[in-house]
Amino acid sequence: MDNMTNKLLKVENLSIAFGGLKAVDNLSFDINDGEIFGLIGPNGAGKTTVFNCITQFYKPDEGNIFFKTNTGEVENLVGKKTHELIGKGLVRTFQNIELIRELTVVENVMVGAHIEFKASLFNQFFRLKKTREEENRIRKRAEEILDHFGLSSIKDMLVAGQPYGVLKKIELARALMLDPKLIILDEPAAGLNDSETMSLVNIIKEIKNERNCSILLIEHDMKFVNGLCDRICAINFGKLLAIGTPKEIQENEQVQIAYLGKEDD
Amino acid sequence: MDIFVQILLNSLETGGIYALAALGIILIFRTSVTTNFAQGSISMFSAFLATIVLIRTGISPILAALVGMVFALVLGVLVDFFVISRAQKVNPVSKQIITLGLIMIFLGLAPMLFGTDPLQFPRFVYGSYSFFGATISYNAIFNIVVGLVLMGILFFALQKTKWGLSVRATASNDIVARMMGIPTASVTRASWAIAAALGTLSALMLAPTNSVNLSMMDTVQVTALLACILGGFTSFYGAVIAAYLIGFASNLISFYVSSIWSDSILYLLILITILFKPTGLFGKKVIKKV
Amino acid sequence: MNNKLTDLYKTHKPYSQYALFGIILSLLPLLVSLGLVKYSLLTTVASILIYSIVALGLNLLLGYSGLISLGTAGFMGMGTYLTAFITADLGLPFELALIISVAVPMLIGVLTGLVSLRIEGYYLAIATLAISEILRKVFVEFDFVTNGFSGKQAQYPKLLGFLQLDRNGTYILIVFFLVLVMVMMHNLVNSHTGRALSTMRGSEAAASAMGINIYRHRLLSFAIAVAFSALGGVLYMHFVKYTYPNAWILMLSLNILAVIVIGGVRSISGTILGAFIVFGVPDLILKRLPIIGSIDGAAYIFNGLLIILVILFYPNGLINMRYDIQRNFNKQFKRGENING
Repeated sequence: MDNMTNKLLKVENLSIAFGGLKAVDNLSFDINDGEIFGLIGPNGAGKTTVFNCITQFYKPDEGNIFFKTNTGEVENLVGKKTHELIGKGLVRTFQNIELIRELTVVENVMVGAHIEFKASLFNQFFRLKKTREEENRIRKRAEEILDHFGLSSIKDMLVAGQPYGVLKKIELARALMLDPKLIILDEPAAGLNDSETMSLVNIIKEIKNERNCSILLIEHDMKFVNGLCDRICAINFGKLLAIGTPKEIQENEQVQIAYLGKEDD
Repeated sequence: MDIFVQILLNSLETGGIYALAALGIILIFRTSVTTNFAQGSISMFSAFLATIVLIRTGISPILAALVGMVFALVLGVLVDFFVISRAQKVNPVSKQIITLGLIMIFLGLAPMLFGTDPLQFPRFVYGSYSFFGATISYNAIFNIVVGLVLMGILFFALQKTKWGLSVRATASNDIVARMMGIPTASVTRASWAIAAALGTLSALMLAPTNSVNLSMMDTVQVTALLACILGGFTSFYGAVIAAYLIGFASNLISFYVSSIWSDSILYLLILITILFKPTGLFGKKVIKKV
Repeated sequence: MNNKLTDLYKTHKPYSQYALFGIILSLLPLLVSLGLVKYSLLTTVASILIYSIVALGLNLLLGYSGLISLGTAGFMGMGTYLTAFITADLGLPFELALIISVAVPMLIGVLTGLVSLRIEGYYLAIATLAISEILRKVFVEFDFVTNGFSGKQAQYPKLLGFLQLDRNGTYILIVFFLVLVMVMMHNLVNSHTGRALSTMRGSEAAASAMGINIYRHRLLSFAIAVAFSALGGVLYMHFVKYTYPNAWILMLSLNILAVIVIGGVRSISGTILGAFIVFGVPDLILKRLPIIGSIDGAAYIFNGLLIILVILFYPNGLINMRYDIQRNFNKQFKRGENING
């Protein structure tokens, strides 16, 4: 395991195949502390598969994923259980918002701190002191985050029926509950209009600055990525095309070909 | 040696009964995405009808079995028409519960129409044959052969006919299959009909030893479901092979360990097996998309 | 209001409603002794309340984990035999019997769950079906404890070693346990475990990303369902005072499922309503009708049909009728207002 000072996540020779088709092929990149890092590529490039490998929804065939956890230790995430990752400081959002319709907004956000609840089953059955104390403490934290996002007026409403832009914010709020080191956002701008996208860019920047965490995001909207990311990794057909600053990526010929096709075609 | 041959012969018969029932369950699972808990009740119901017809008209058992199977085909179609086809948008759990509701209806209807007393259904053929010190009845040979031939026809149909292709396409992805112009609704309906007929045959093969009664298919139903788990719900062959294996194990345990506890021991063994082999003996692991 | 607020999610605490419900139920023995209602009604209502307790546990499993157990009757039966054995044969106190008779089935349930819950949800239904077949065999064959087909007897419970209950007292005890279970379920559903179960049901991906161990929570909800089944069994044993193998067949497990589906998945009051429909209507109404009443199996057909009809046409359960009626009423009322204005 090599040096991880200043680095938060290091993806090393990652490969996964589905029935002979290599969805991710020997991909390596790393993310620095306090960085907004974008993973881009045309449709079907394998972006979401990379995400699912990092978060252990898929088990990669080869490669390592080193992560500097909450405690400062470096661990290989490969082979860990998906539900163990949030406790290490890694949390994600989903492309097709995964909120629970029957729960209220604040309850959905509280789920983000699930692993912090320690009250026993017995304690919950009779709503004893520990349960009440935990509920109040974590509800308060959830309300603070919602307030920060300007959502306090809807906190006790059900999630079902809220507009799309609001749902995206609620999901983001849920991801912030445990002060993660790395937040992984799967196409955060998909389905948002221009003003919603602008407000999302501001929120993401604010999160990074205030919470001292790194953000990894997938997007194929280049404009959004260029305005937000410190560095970008471009992939196609599961293979690395280029890593660099937004400017470098924009000027990279291979990236242009992947996105726009060859000019002499 | 002679005992072992005897056990083997018995296993071929019981295994065949389980395999017919299991095949019906898999067929429905693959086309309707539900584990059909009512397979046994529908079979029991049709077996009662066949027996009543036999008693009232005095036709031969083989003819009565054919009447029962035709009735089961119709019953399968009716169940699909009135219930299953209307539950396409229902989630898989509720679909399972629907099949449980069907059990209640058939178990309620049966005593109403056929009375509460157990009925006798005769063997298809009489006489027996001895070799290597083992004895096998002609009826058992008949059952084994009919079972194998029917399954052979079904497997041939699944592989080589247009219907089989449609079933397999519906099984692998019903939305795509529908887009490709496959009439998934009638494929599903046919599956329910065939499954009911297969189950009825297995019930009537069992009937001479167990009598025709309300709970006659309970053990077969549980065993067939476990055979599907053991073989893996993803494979038609797996369930059939598992059913024969279970039949063999069941006869072995009854002879060497305990005939009272053979089913219980068998169930536990199967559950322990899936602890170590979760996808079944022949199942494939399916990667879920997130 | 388009949002269907099932009553588990009301923000205010319904404890007082539950207590009121309990008090009303407790008046029944009084009505019986005044001769206003029939003696047998108490038995019917008591069994409905016991099945409500069992169904509330199963509702957690079905409603929140999306899992089906077909072992309900088996685990309930196990509770009856265990408590009868401990109180009647061993002469140990009722309280101890209660704890052991709930804990042992729970342990067996957890073992069953460990095996079957790792893969697909529908494996649990099949595994519990197999387990309940085994349990029934045990009820029949372990006759040195169970008396085989002739069945086993026990007495009304003696609380704390000196308070001997009679029929009415035992009925009140059942009411007490039902109200307790309602409160416990309400609390659980509205605490972090409840939210975790809801999340799991809504999105397994989100649940695991938020650190919820799906396997463990499935196991947990199954263990709770088994525990309440066994509790129901214990109460049944000490009220009916008699248990035999054929009382614990698959049909009972199906009836309990029917309670939940018909009454309302994920709803406490829906479960109670469902229990009154599934176990009350056949006993109190169907049997009294001419012709139909004399036919065996009418209750099964009634409940089976109702399950299918509710799933197809009213999937949130009959408890939601009150919201629909209310909404229709409001609509009518508003229309009237408009005309007047």
